[in-house]
Amino acid sequence: MQEMDLYRHTDTVNKLLARYGVRFGIYKNNEFREQLFPFDAIPRMIGKQEFEYLEKGLKQRVMALNLFIRDIYGEKKIIRDRIIPEEFIYAGSGYLAQCEGVCPPKGIYAHISGIDLVQGKNGEWYILEDNLRVPSGASYPMIAREFCRRSSPQTFKDNHIEDNRNYADLLRRTLDHVNTGGHTVILTPGRYNAAYFEHSYLAEKTGAHLVTGSDLIVEGDRLYFLDYSGRREPVGAVYRRISDDYLDPMNFRRESLIGIPHIYDIYRKGNVALLNAPGNGVADDKGIYYFVPKMISYYLGEEPILQNAPTYLPYYEDDMKYVLEKFDSLVLKDVAEAGGYGVVFGSKMTKQQKEDFIALLKKEPRRFIAQEVIDFCDLDIMEGDTRVPRKADLRAFVLMGEEPMVWKSGLTRFSRDPDSFIVNSSQGGGFKDTWVLSQ
Amino acid sequence: MGIISVENTDRLYWLGRYSERVYTTIRLFAASYDNMIDSALADYKEFCRRLDIPNVYKSGGDFVRTYCFSTEDPNSILSNLTRAYDNGITLREEIGSETLSYIQLAVYAMNKAKDSAAPLIELQEVTDNLLAFWGMADDSIDSENVRNILKVGKRVERLDLYARLHMPREQMRREVHRLSRIERTQLKYRKEYLKELNVLVDSPEIDYYEVVSKVESLLEDHA
Repeated sequence: MQEMDLYRHTDTVNKLLARYGVRFGIYKNNEFREQLFPFDAIPRMIGKQEFEYLEKGLKQRVMALNLFIRDIYGEKKIIRDRIIPEEFIYAGSGYLAQCEGVCPPKGIYAHISGIDLVQGKNGEWYILEDNLRVPSGASYPMIAREFCRRSSPQTFKDNHIEDNRNYADLLRRTLDHVNTGGHTVILTPGRYNAAYFEHSYLAEKTGAHLVTGSDLIVEGDRLYFLDYSGRREPVGAVYRRISDDYLDPMNFRRESLIGIPHIYDIYRKGNVALLNAPGNGVADDKGIYYFVPKMISYYLGEEPILQNAPTYLPYYEDDMKYVLEKFDSLVLKDVAEAGGYGVVFGSKMTKQQKEDFIALLKKEPRRFIAQEVIDFCDLDIMEGDTRVPRKADLRAFVLMGEEPMVWKSGLTRFSRDPDSFIVNSSQGGGFKDTWVLSQ
Repeated sequence: MGIISVENTDRLYWLGRYSERVYTTIRLFAASYDNMIDSALADYKEFCRRLDIPNVYKSGGDFVRTYCFSTEDPNSILSNLTRAYDNGITLREEIGSETLSYIQLAVYAMNKAKDSAAPLIELQEVTDNLLAFWGMADDSIDSENVRNILKVGKRVERLDLYARLHMPREQMRREVHRLSRIERTQLKYRKEYLKELNVLVDSPEIDYYEVVSKVESLLEDHA
């Protein structure tokens, strides 16, 4: 990659990000801290044709996932036809019995999906994870692009790059498409949530109101925003950034103080849209991930365009055998964990750790998946004045409005540790802008 | 007209109050500090008394550092700036990233001043950023209601501080007059108190204690 003027401005962009409060929250030793998310100015570049291929594959995948969720909470054909064993549905923590028979406005479940991919050294893209609950991260490349363009206008004159600052517009269209009549709000758990910056930034950019549970009330089968002057304004769409469990104490966790009592009841009646739909966790469980290519064939009658990383389910006898044989070359993931936690590499375990882990694996085979360690492409980052290679992934965003839309950018996260594959911000990773070339 | 939640109304009001408290106390502190140079730093006790700050300071030198920069002292300027930031950070969609960024810059400047060998000079940057914050708020916040609530907080705070410091009549009058902006908001306030404030600042002997009492109780829900 040729040197660009932009690369000299990493510090400037990071200073601007700090100035505008671009942070994420983290709890360590029961203490909340806000951290800056280190930005690297060397972008990930994706060519026009390559992105068109990704776009096609991502749309296909999210459409199949939507059909899967609808089926699971509806007819359950995929279980009856024995494509997916039912214990993988009902034993997963993402399945919610309360969602049975509930159809959201316009039949859309996964409105905003964050699909994590890596590119192998062979150039092939692999899906690592589907995030269909409350995926975060779009705001970071959005705001970073703003500062990059300001820091080095010439770079953006010389290169034909899709403008990614339209994410707010795509999101707004997605929210408006399912709005049942009334205001649009973004529901945040509050200031001490890890992604609070994103919640507030997206509210600012979409023109939605940022609210907490105490700002909303259900009355007479409608949801209202309580204005300080005493007015009650109807709300038609809630982009909720809180998890299912805490959404409604009357229907989910009773001890939730951040939810809205009875919001789920009126959602069930079709009187408000919730984005993403409650119950989506049934489709983004790491165990279900294994079956997504099968879903694509089953629901769409198509071959999957994008491949999963080669994955094994110790639940199946043959796979368990393989996992035990190849243990040292695999990465094992606890399906209940997220954020880079619960991920262990067979090769990095001590003898004792390995024995303990295998005992646990045999006891709870449904709890883990195993994957081949993909030798994925490194991307260069600037460390001082030196370019050094680091592991990086890509979170692509697919929004389901009137039709599926893939944002022409994405969040590229990288590990700052040369020996690590873990790119998550909560574990010290940084981020890059993702350029999709328009020519 | 846009809608604003009860919680955000409260935060706007307190963002206005705390940012004004920081701005005015830095200015007053700088002026008092100048006097202290000639009086062996003893005047700080009078400063504390007037602002109703418990005199927990060991010496003039301790006062300068602690009152400005202590994270432990709830009355310190830094603590008040942190409160302004804590309110501001939750108001991005109401006041905009650009406006909010000046509060963030004031925090950075404050921390820089804390570590500086010449903190008073560095505090200038804090007040510069707060002025820019108010300028940006005026210039870029579309909602008149949001602007008004923010400014009511600012005016209440300034009048409160001026009364505590027994500022001259003309300045008191001006601040009471500016507080009439409150009528343009839908905040619940005690109208009779506003009238009384006007009478108080026109009376031959201003009862500053009464002014503080009235201004502190002016709003019904944001004490």
